[in-house]
Amino acid sequence: MKITEGVLAFFLLTCAPAPAHRLDEYLLGTLIAAEKDRIEAQMTLTPGVLVYPAVLAAMDRDRDGTISNTEQRAYAERVLRDLSLTIDGRRLTPRLTSLSFPAIEDMQAGRGEIRLEFRADLPPGGPSRRLVLEDHHLERIAAYQVNCLVPSDPDIRIVAQNRNWSQSLYQLEYTQAGVRSGAMSAAWRYGDRVWLGAVAFLLIGRFTLLWQRRTRMDRAPCAGSAA
Amino acid sequence: MRITRTIRALALLALSLSGAASQTAASRTVSAANAFLSTLDQKQRQSVLFAFDDHQQRVRWSNLPTTMVPRAGLSMKDLTAPQRSAAMALVSSALSPRGFEKVQQIMEGDELLKNGQRNSTMFGKDLFYISILGTPSAKDPWMLQFGGHHLALNITIAGDRGVLTPTLTGAQPALYTLDGKTVRPLGQESDKAAALLNALDESQRKQAVLGFRLADLVLGPGQDGKTIQPEGLKASAMNERQRAMLLDLISEWAGIVPESSAAARMAELKADINETWFAWSGPTTATPGSNITAYYRIQGPHLVIEYAPQTLGGDPALHVHTMYRDPTNDYGRKFIAK
Repeated sequence: MKITEGVLAFFLLTCAPAPAHRLDEYLLGTLIAAEKDRIEAQMTLTPGVLVYPAVLAAMDRDRDGTISNTEQRAYAERVLRDLSLTIDGRRLTPRLTSLSFPAIEDMQAGRGEIRLEFRADLPPGGPSRRLVLEDHHLERIAAYQVNCLVPSDPDIRIVAQNRNWSQSLYQLEYTQAGVRSGAMSAAWRYGDRVWLGAVAFLLIGRFTLLWQRRTRMDRAPCAGSAA
Repeated sequence: MRITRTIRALALLALSLSGAASQTAASRTVSAANAFLSTLDQKQRQSVLFAFDDHQQRVRWSNLPTTMVPRAGLSMKDLTAPQRSAAMALVSSALSPRGFEKVQQIMEGDELLKNGQRNSTMFGKDLFYISILGTPSAKDPWMLQFGGHHLALNITIAGDRGVLTPTLTGAQPALYTLDGKTVRPLGQESDKAAALLNALDESQRKQAVLGFRLADLVLGPGQDGKTIQPEGLKASAMNERQRAMLLDLISEWAGIVPESSAAARMAELKADINETWFAWSGPTTATPGSNITAYYRIQGPHLVIEYAPQTLGGDPALHVHTMYRDPTNDYGRKFIAK
């Protein structure tokens, strides 16, 4: 880290005025769209020239100097794993919906943008909701920018956006009209139905087994007493 | 052949200038566009002209140097001196005098950047591109693009209406000396914002000043069609004087185009003023004579302005990006929608 800082200081002191491209930060911009049943987000990740080696190291797992499709996907999944996303205190699982990577030379030159999109289905909630996004991805070099888009659903009204200074922690409070407390989203309703069905199936199976066992015991001769 | 074209261009240019007093701004721009096109050979015309609905060309702009993000059209270095004069006359005809001055100062700054970087091939006045989408017309919509490093003018002209959004202006260095004069291409954008912040009382400042850092533009290149939730201080909570200061600050972008288009745009933004927000992030003071080092955003129903000093290069006062958008009418889509 000290070496990186030294190189950076030397670069800044010796290059005046500095070049036009991003230098010593990894800009992670996130735009969030809130819907009643889901959150959708677009992330734009722009590595600066001086921090590119650290970003490359996180992407190029086999160290062959290229970023294969598999490595792109693995890196995108890592970015999502480094996020902590909750709604009303319940943890959400973001799912990657699209990814695009620039040419490696563009990233090397500080002009390449990685674009990721993800989605998270929301559990049922009341009229007031609180979304919390914490981003821990490459914290030592990251510059976070998180914003929510004006909702396309007129029932949703943004109440507040709160962030810490670095924007690594972002809280979004919003209200949604036309939603009863405890109402379920389609996805979660479907998920719960599957779960309830599975439990019912297991219980029925258990009862059937017990019933068969009991029937067999009723019909069987009393061997113990015969001996 | 080249001499004939030059004479024809100069004649057209003289004709367009002589009739300027009786022309509207839009028809002056059409005349200047035709004068410029008449200086070009067939190959150059093919390079500079695009279909009006060429989406790829429409969004081909950036704050980055043209060597990093290639532009299409004709670069200034591809043009002869008369062609270059005609190109700049066209750009000038589509802008106000102050708007054109700002563009020239941004270009001069890039030339200085080139000289300071041992004649770097990445920067300089030669690397600004011009392109025309559609056919220059007093009736039908068409578009003029002019830009390079730290500049992207996207001017849609539909009849008498000129739309400047989305447009990016930036400067590096954002403060320099030329012919003994101190130049700050975006100095008014800095000074007027600082004056507005200072005119706010404590409770207003508390709302306007955001408690988090903004490293760059949120709705910069590649972020067309998005509207973020506004934040900061709503102008309805300002007094008349403060609102007038806010409008005056906005006019630094709205006034880049000629007076007739700027007046219509300012009237629209004035009508929205109570729904317009002002947000600030970063230091609340600046060195006298220098630029602010804070980010600010002005956002209303028909407006997004961002001013974002850049830390790369050491002093953020010397490197600034700004963005000017109308989320309802970028690329003049309101006027050209059938």
